[in-house]
Amino acid sequence: MNILFYTILPEIVLLSIISLHLVKKNSEMVFLYGFQSIAIVLMLFCSFLTTGKLSLLLVTVVVLLAKVILAPLFFNKLILKHKLVFSVKKYVNTSFSLVIIAILIITAYSDKFTSLTNIIPANHASLSLAFSAMLLSLFLIVNSRGALSQIVAILSLENSIVAFAVFAELEQSAGLQIGIVFDIFVWMIVATMFVSMIQKHFGSIDVTSMKNLKD
Amino acid sequence: MELLFIFTFLLLASLIGLFTKKRLFIEFVSVFASIFALFGSINVAMKVVALGSYSPFSFLYVESFGAVLLLIISLIGLSTTVYSIQYLRQESAKNIIGPARVRQYFVLLNLFILFMFLATTVNSPIFSWIFIEATTLSTVFLISFYNKSSSVEAAWKYLVVNSVGLLFGFFGTLLYFTSLHSVDNGSIVSWNGLLNGATSLDPVIAKIAFIFVLIGYGAKVGLAPMHTWKPDAYSKAPTPLGALFSGALLPVAFVTILKFKTITDTVVGLSFSQNLLILFGTLSVFISAFIIFSSRNYKRLLAYSGIENAGIMALGFGFGGLGIFAGTLHMIYHSLIKSALFFCSGNFLLKYGSAKIKNIRGAINVLPFTSVVFVVGFLALIGMPPFGVFFTKLTILSAGIKNHQLFSIVLIFLVSLLFIGFLKHVTAMVFGKKPEDMSIKKESVWLIIPPLVLIGVVICLSFYIPPFLYTLFNNIVLHY
Repeated sequence: MNILFYTILPEIVLLSIISLHLVKKNSEMVFLYGFQSIAIVLMLFCSFLTTGKLSLLLVTVVVLLAKVILAPLFFNKLILKHKLVFSVKKYVNTSFSLVIIAILIITAYSDKFTSLTNIIPANHASLSLAFSAMLLSLFLIVNSRGALSQIVAILSLENSIVAFAVFAELEQSAGLQIGIVFDIFVWMIVATMFVSMIQKHFGSIDVTSMKNLKD
Repeated sequence: MELLFIFTFLLLASLIGLFTKKRLFIEFVSVFASIFALFGSINVAMKVVALGSYSPFSFLYVESFGAVLLLIISLIGLSTTVYSIQYLRQESAKNIIGPARVRQYFVLLNLFILFMFLATTVNSPIFSWIFIEATTLSTVFLISFYNKSSSVEAAWKYLVVNSVGLLFGFFGTLLYFTSLHSVDNGSIVSWNGLLNGATSLDPVIAKIAFIFVLIGYGAKVGLAPMHTWKPDAYSKAPTPLGALFSGALLPVAFVTILKFKTITDTVVGLSFSQNLLILFGTLSVFISAFIIFSSRNYKRLLAYSGIENAGIMALGFGFGGLGIFAGTLHMIYHSLIKSALFFCSGNFLLKYGSAKIKNIRGAINVLPFTSVVFVVGFLALIGMPPFGVFFTKLTILSAGIKNHQLFSIVLIFLVSLLFIGFLKHVTAMVFGKKPEDMSIKKESVWLIIPPLVLIGVVICLSFYIPPFLYTLFNNIVLHY
């Protein structure tokens, strides 16, 4: 249980984000996001088993429903509807992306952020992994050219923050739980409305096709 | 109780827009809710003056800055609602929008105002975050209101920048919670609870948390370099919305940063947060000064002016001392003037059908009342004496010259540059020869009254600050 919670789950989150930088197909991206979300659900569930707080179980169920089931289903529907097979383009090529990823991970593990990753000294390794995941998600947002991959990147950043909060033992805060649920709610609405609007107006969900704001 | 009534009326006004198609009724209910919100806010402000703070329930808490914000939101909210009615009627007459769009507009407008009220009065950092995030949800569909490619693009940009920013803000807020491990985690942590627990916060964590909060909420304020969404969103959204964005949302997000600043200051001292505010403030003024000069769109011009003024407020709070007093006063002046200028720009847009500066010529002949208000607003905004902004800018500069000479000198140069840039555009728009085919018709009084009232309030406040406002300002200076 301990190995799963403190080592394997945060590693899955980090590896899924690294993979999101490398995949080419939208369907692979959605699968990775769902997989990452399962890891987050398991983290929250482990935390519920440890603390016995019912509110945590409720958040776990909401995250399971929204992120593991509904969001991937919805994204897959969009992919099929708009025939979006290969639109996970990036600004930076794969090899250079890997270099940046390595630099970001080294940064997350550097002395500069020791205070941050030592909030709970016993969870230092897991917090470092979660913080690395945050930085990589941020890079994914900047590096993504597709609207769908930008949404997945933002949701990955949110997952990374949740992972960080769990290992910093802040997940029991009612505020955090409400915040997570609300953020999921917002993004479900936004994703539903906007991806279709972008596709309708630009004939593509590639955000580089947006060039109407040059005045 | 009045706060609950304000929330209820605004929510009802929004819901009525969903369930009825009668335009007149929707407009009436929206104006009624806004008028009630204004009187309710004045009542709450008076209670804060008398008692120091006002908390009808543990979930709601209004202190001096909250009271000032309530007054700003309610006044700008009312003037925007009144202005929007006539503005949208004229757009409907030109077949730019249909009845469904009008309903959508008032639903979202009332929700937007409601969320700003809630973000200001709620006694919890997490709920403040939630309601500020909720403003994103309501406004993003207002930015894409005209359903054009450019407006969808602007809305998307706004959404991505603000969502990432707010996730940063969320993360920063969580870091502040690390000081509360011993507190019952099942309860909602209040602002005061966070402040009281700050003494056990690790100083390095406090610094990192403040950086995240400043970047996060700074994106909503529009501080450079997180400002990139602002010119696009302002230029593509319905013009009256610019007034609420610049006049109300900016101060709401700014005060949230200041609340976290207070917590950070108790842990690491004043200089850390002040230096960051000075840095971001100077960068904001610097960027806007150069872009305003070459701006080609008057709505974007106003957006960059908003970035500049957010920078000046940040400098005021960064310099400290009298700068805080001047920064607060500057926030009020800016909200009122900028809203009035957005209303004037709406009148230009309705008449000329273009947001490009080069297409607006001879406005003094075509729209004389609007032009006079626009020029007066412009003079007030750039800080011409005897307007209040002259006093606030001078005070902020004098507060800075003591300890931050270099920044103050740079600021003087940038403010001069802004003056020249703004003057160049305004004179070109207002004076000169009007287009040959432009007919001169009487201006609608409902498009003139809102900006005129706001400029009137600015002029009054430039010469006389009522004692109750002085009390609120003094409390703000003592607290921040």
